[in-house]
Parts: sequence; C-alpha cells; structure tokens
Amino acid sequence: MDLLLHLCVIIAIYAIFALSLNVEVGYTGLFNFGHVAFFAVGAYTSALLTLSGVPFVWSLPAALTMAGLCGFLLSIPALKLQGDYFGIATLGFGEILRMIFNNEVWLTKGPMGLPGIPRPEFFGFVFDTLPRYLALSAGFALLTFAILAFVVLSPFGRALKAVRDDETAAEILGKNAYRFKIKSFVIGSVFAGLAGVLWAHYATFIGPGDFTLTETILVLLIVVMGGKGTFPGPVVGAVALIFFQESVRFLRLPPEWTRLLGPLQQMIFGLLLVVLMVFRPEGIIREKGGER
Amino acid sequence: MKKLAVLVAVVAIFAFLAVPAVRAAEPIKIGAAFALSGSIAVYGEGFKKCIDLAVEEINAKGGIKGRKIEIVYEDNKSNPKDCVTAVRKLITVDKVPVIFGPAGSSNFMATAPVAQENKVVLLSAQGAAVGLTKAGDYIFRVFPSDTLQGPHLAKLAIGMGYKKVPVMYVNNDWGLGLKNAFVDAYKKMGGTVTDIIAYDEKKTDYRTELLRASKGNPPAIVNLTYINEGAVQFKQAFEMGIKTQWLCGSAARAPKMVELAGKAAEGVIGTYPSVPQNTKQYQAFKDAYKKKYGDDKIPIFGDYNYDMVYVTAKAIEKGGYTADGIRKALPAAAKGYKGVTGDKTFDNERSPKFAEYGIWIVKDGKIEDYKK
Amino acid sequence: MDSISYYLQTILNGILAGCIYALFAMGLTLIYGVLNFVNFAHGELIMWGAYFLFLFMAEPFGLPLYVAIIPALALTGCLGLAMDYSVFRPIRRANRLTLLIAAMGLSVLLRNAAQFFWGAEVRTYGFEVIAGTQFLGLYLTTTQFAIIAVTLICVVAVYLLFFKSRLGKSMRALSDNLDLARISGIDTKRSILAAWVISAVLAGIGGILLALDTNLHPEMGIANLIKAFAATLIGGVGNLWGALLGGLLIGLAENIGVLFISPGYKDGIAFVIMVLILLARPYVILGERSD
Repeated sequence: MDLLLHLCVIIAIYAIFALSLNVEVGYTGLFNFGHVAFFAVGAYTSALLTLSGVPFVWSLPAALTMAGLCGFLLSIPALKLQGDYFGIATLGFGEILRMIFNNEVWLTKGPMGLPGIPRPEFFGFVFDTLPRYLALSAGFALLTFAILAFVVLSPFGRALKAVRDDETAAEILGKNAYRFKIKSFVIGSVFAGLAGVLWAHYATFIGPGDFTLTETILVLLIVVMGGKGTFPGPVVGAVALIFFQESVRFLRLPPEWTRLLGPLQQMIFGLLLVVLMVFRPEGIIREKGGER
Repeated sequence: MKKLAVLVAVVAIFAFLAVPAVRAAEPIKIGAAFALSGSIAVYGEGFKKCIDLAVEEINAKGGIKGRKIEIVYEDNKSNPKDCVTAVRKLITVDKVPVIFGPAGSSNFMATAPVAQENKVVLLSAQGAAVGLTKAGDYIFRVFPSDTLQGPHLAKLAIGMGYKKVPVMYVNNDWGLGLKNAFVDAYKKMGGTVTDIIAYDEKKTDYRTELLRASKGNPPAIVNLTYINEGAVQFKQAFEMGIKTQWLCGSAARAPKMVELAGKAAEGVIGTYPSVPQNTKQYQAFKDAYKKKYGDDKIPIFGDYNYDMVYVTAKAIEKGGYTADGIRKALPAAAKGYKGVTGDKTFDNERSPKFAEYGIWIVKDGKIEDYKK
Repeated sequence: MDSISYYLQTILNGILAGCIYALFAMGLTLIYGVLNFVNFAHGELIMWGAYFLFLFMAEPFGLPLYVAIIPALALTGCLGLAMDYSVFRPIRRANRLTLLIAAMGLSVLLRNAAQFFWGAEVRTYGFEVIAGTQFLGLYLTTTQFAIIAVTLICVVAVYLLFFKSRLGKSMRALSDNLDLARISGIDTKRSILAAWVISAVLAGIGGILLALDTNLHPEMGIANLIKAFAATLIGGVGNLWGALLGGLLIGLAENIGVLFISPGYKDGIAFVIMVLILLARPYVILGERSD
C-alpha cells in the first residue's frame, strides 16, 4: 500500500537523522539541541542547487559539505561552553539559522519556501516513483548505519564514549577531548545534512517552518526512546515513533474530535518523553555497561 | 466532558490500531486537508463550517446523481509538512479524486506537487499568492490572485490622498506577494514608499515595528497583516498613541480581528476581493449559515469555500467521479457560475478571471463596506 | 513621533520587555540554582499562569481581575510543585541530559494540554483597550505601569526573602551545595518546595502581565523561555540580581537593536548576546556558579 511505502521513506529519513544525533548525544554526550539546523542546511543547499539546474550528483556532496562545514564552524566556539550552556547555545544557533532562512528572501525565498524541488536523478535514472524513492532512502539509511556503526565501534567511537563519561579521565589518558568533540559534531552534522537532502527531494517543498524546535524534540525523542548510545537504538526509535505518529491518522474519529487529536498526540509524545526519562532513560535498547 | 470522552476513546481505539474501514461505494467522498489544529486552526474551522453547510444543502437536494457527498477531513496541523502527509493520506488511503486544499499559500504550494504527481484534483478557496496553481493542470483555485489586489490597494491609498506611506507586512508568502504587488503599483501611480518593514507572524509584541513605522507621524500606514497579528498591532498602536490611517489587505478582514482589537480597530480600512453582500444569493447563504450555526458572522473565506463545494459538485456531476473527469469538467462547471462570491470562471492558469475589489472599513465595531 | 520621543519610547519598550524577561529569568535561575538543572518547562508555568487567570475570569467563575489572580497564582504554584513531585523528584540524581529531556517532554505535554483545552488561537482577557497616558512625550498604559511596578515589588520581595529570612538562607545553602546542605541538617525538602512555589509564582505573575499586555496563546511560554534562558545565563546561574539585569539587558538590546537590523532577527539578539558573553567568560559569570 502506498501509505506504507510513504511511512518507510519517512522512517528511513528520520533514522538517518536520529543516527546522526546519536553520535553527538549518545556517544559523545553533547547536548545538541540545534541539530535540526544541519538538517535544514542540507535540505536548503541541495534544493537551491538542483533548482538552479545543478544535477543531484553534485548537489548531494555539496549539501553534505555545507552541513559539515556549518557544523565545524559552529562547534569551534560552541564547544568551549559546558553542558547546559552548549545545549542552549546550539538551540539558539538552530533558531538563528531558521531566522536567516526566513529573512533572507533573496536567497531562500524566505517564508514562501522552495516548491517544486526536482526528484534526484543519477545519470538518467530518475527516482520519481515511491518505490524508487524508498529504495534510495533505504539505501542511504543502510549506508549511514554501516558507516556510523563502523565509526562508533572503532577506537574513535570508544574514545568518544570515554570523553562522554569522564572528560577529565579521558584527557589524562591523552585524548584531546575538544578535538574529538569537534569531529563527532561534524560527523553528526554531515549525516543530518544527508537526511535533510533526502527530505527535501521527497517532499519537493521546504520552508523555514519545517525546521523548528519541534523537529529537534521529535528526533531527540527518537534517539532517547530507541536507546541512545546504541546503534540499533535510533532506528528502533524511528520506526516506533513515526509509525505511532502516522498510524494515529488511521483512526476514524468524527471531525470535531480531530481538532483535539493534534495536541493530544503531542501530549502523548511529551508524556512519553517524561515517562521514559523517569522509568527507563536508557530507552528501548540498552547500552552495554552504560550508566543510567 | 467531551474532552474526557475523546481522551478515553482515543486511548481505547489506539489499543486496537484501527484498520481502515471498508466503505460502501455509495457516498461521493471529497478530501479536505484543513488546519483543524495548530496556529491557523481558526481558518480551518471556519472553512469546515461553510463546507458542511454546502454539503448539507446539496445532499438535502439528493446529492450528486443520488449519491451523497461526504467530506473526509484530515488535519494538517497548520504546517506544510503535515499538509503534505494529510494530502498523501487522502490520496492513498481514502482514494479521493479531488481534495480541498489547505489555507496558507505556502501550505497549499507544498501539497500541490503531490496532488499533481498523483493526478488528483486540488482546489484552493483562499490562496492568494501569485503562482499558486503553477504546479500543474490538476491545481485550481476559486480565489483571486493577489496580483490583482496590489493595484487596488495602491489606488485606494492614492485616491485618499496618501502619497507617501510606510509599508508593514507579515513576512510570509501572502504578505510578501501582496507587498510586492502593492509597491510596484503604488510607485507607478506616483507614490513613495518611505519604509518597508517585515515582521514575523505569531508574535505577541509588535511595538518595535509599530514605532518604526510611525516615525515621522505618517498620516497613513499600509499594514498587510493577518487576524491575530493585526489585532495585536492595532491595540498596541492605540496604546502608544499612534494616530494614523491604517490601510490593509484582505487577510485581516475578519470579525475575529475586530473582536480581539476592540475599539483600536475602529477606522481601519482595507481592500478585499469583494463580494456584493446585498445580493439575494448572499443573503440566502447568510441566512442558511445563521440557521445552522446561530450567528451570521461568516468566517473569513468561508463564502469561497462554500462556492468551491458547489463548483466541484457541478464538475463531478458533469465529468464523473474521477480525477481526470473532474479536472476536465471544472472549467466548464465554473464558467459563468455565479456563486455567492461572484463569477467563478477560470482563466488560463485555473484562477478566477474576474475579481472585484471592494474596500472595507471597521465602523462601530463592525466590518462594513466603505463608501467614499 | 519626533526623534527624541522615538528613541525614548524605544528605551521604554526595552525596559518593559526587560521587566517581563527578568521575572521569567528570576524564577528560572532560582530552580537552576537550587536544583542545578534547567527547567525547560518553566515556559509552561508562565503560560499556564496566564491561562489560569483566564479560567477564573471566564464562566463559570466569572471573578474580577484582582480576585481571580489569587486562585490563578495558587494553582500555578501547585503546578510547579506537581511538576517537581511527579517528574523531577524521582530523577533528582539522574544525569543532566535526562533532566533536560524530561523537562522538554513536560514542556511539550503542558503546552499541548493548554492547546487541547483552549485551542490554538489567541485569547484575550477581554478588557477594553485604552489609550496610554502621556508622560513626557511617551505613552504608558496602565498595564505597562503595572509591569514596572510589579517587577519592582517582586524584586524587593524576593530580595527580602532570600537575604533576610531563614528560608532564604537555606535556599542559598542548597544553591551552593545540595549534598552539604542536606548533611548540615537544613530542611532541604522545605527549601526545595519553597523554591518551586516562588519560581512558579514569579512565572505566573510574569505570564499574567505579559498576557494583559499582549494576549494569550499556547506558545507564549516557550517563545519567551529562550530569552529567559539567555537572561539567566548572562546574569549567572542562581544569581537573582543577575537575572534581573540580564532580563533588562536583553529587553533593551532587542528593542534598540532593531533600530539597526531587520526586525526579523529580533529574537536572535538575545542568543547572540548570550553566546558572546558566555564565550568571553566561559567559566565564571558574575561571580557565581562554575560548572
């Protein structure tokens, strides 16, 4: 059924988004609350390029580079801040970026958004039907999963965890925590950008309103519920949450009630986050040897 | 009590993960992706009322060829992304051949490519942005494009003797489009725009923008604003002692705006695609609305939505209940059709060809037509 | 508006905005100081304070403004206590990310609960709009006058409570070191309770003033929360004077800033200032907490 395919595409995109955040939050312990900004950078870069005629083959790497670059530039000053301050600073960055997208009409058409984003094309093969797009996104999702799994299972990944758990100890052991954090942040940003690219070419329309704090909270919920610091975690979270979010649409309620459905669904998300944090902060998939 | 019932019911139903019900082939289903929750829910709720009224009337007369119309409402949560999902669901699960699209031009334009791609007809009853129907030949609107409104507003300003005005506008698709249309026309007519101030929607404090606009005590300020934003702005301007003639577009022309702003809205003037309300047809519409809902304050754009239902029903009747049939039949159905909002004939871009623009003014707490 | 009064009005607007941010920030910094975590749901205390007042002024209660404020603030205080009791107390010892995320979840829950009950559209208390009184070429409405007055009163009250009472002393002790305070026999439970009540009431007062000035809607809390954060961080965690100054600073910076840059970036000004100040002195801010 078409809707099922649609669901799978969205799940794939959010899985990539969540996996990227997991590297930062789960493995490195960075409270990045502005992650949606890099999603947006990826989306806008690829959209603007393809709308100007640049083929997808080039716009994709360009978008990833931009996302990574922004991540790099942001991380340098931001990582000088500790814990909560870092979180709020990244939150602020996310919001400022959204303001830029909203205000710089000459570049991004501001609030009018960019409609008609073309479907990706690889040497004549166009991903215009739903099954094809699903194949594309699922493919990228698997690739992301593989790459990031490789990264976190490597010594680099273990060092990240060390930095997360006890920065001072890690430093004593000779790991330059600051450098590791930057690398982790850039990696996370690049893959967030990838998710953004896939999103833009799927929805064919993006606008600044797509990249708000609500998105960040959703992806955070996915990571945290699925199990941060593990690598199947975010995928499980994506499947569970997107499925829940979309399946609520299946319910056949009288129209007077649908007005209440929106906030009700969000309330359930909020409640879920709270309950999760109180009773099972590790999420569905527990991290091995992880802390509470 | 109802809210509690909803909570319990939803939790119970969700436990069973409802399966899409098998439906009898009888009713004619039309999809509607409206803002039923979220920041512009006030629009969606209003549209729904008028649409339900139209549907009720048509069904009472036997429906379309004996089949009753049924509207399948999907909540688009006031943001473009959920609009796309809502439309997709209507297309894939409910398999409707025609959909009434969301309010908010950027919301609508997000969904247009989806409808076009899936060859489903999509209609807008309130999208004013230029290029709304660009996505393809399955996209229609029964509301005139703002390229037509700009010059009218400019004419109004010049006509009232205001040769120099600052322009404030809401920083989104609608405001931007109308601002450009206005500024172009105004300059051509010899006017000077002294300042251009964009502001965000949904803010509760516009004093800074208002202050800037009121610099130099301009006799008139053009403010292309919405209901909520406009109400806040007029109130705050009033409190700050700013005395000026406000000139607005169509989006603020709503009873709700006057209700929120109170006497600060007194004297506000604007243009709007006008619909003579003293015709028998409009009166009948108003009476029917009052009978069903108890008051005669027609929600903003409600009359357009009402007409949209009738035009669509006519197209279904003529062209059959398929997307392609409806698409082909719509221009013929709309040609010369005089709804409560006037002649609905389409132009080459599937937008209304004819649009009259009137001037509204808030007088004694009511929105009236302005007579010079 | 001629030039001088134009600039004076801008400064006045800045002060007004600053007072409201200060009220929000004081509540936020209190909890941050005493319990060492950022209550992301603070914005919802602000918003619910305003909505509780709305509730009591509407049918079936129909109370006049000055009477309705009492149950409204009382309920807001209770909400704060409920938040602590049900969510934050069970995870008092958890790591910071958990607390932050729990608070975020609570914020989403409460925000949408308000939308569930009252809808997403803007609501108003229904007062007649009155022109402000002229005052040295500037306009000031009664509400705005109240904002300044109430803020001053709150600041004085909080000062007296914090620095001149035993309860205040206990709270300051907790702020310095929660565990040490516990061991020293200070009644931590009472102090924590007091902190929540004060924090919630300050938020509620701020919310009500804000709503009186600019109407109610479910996003009003979170929209201002971010600025309250900025004010808190600028002023230094746990530092009440800092919160006041931070709030005023941001209010003024925002309003003066938009004379030079596009108003679309107004909300970003608070962040930029915060980040700049944090970067300039990353570990010690106004002499208080270092992480």
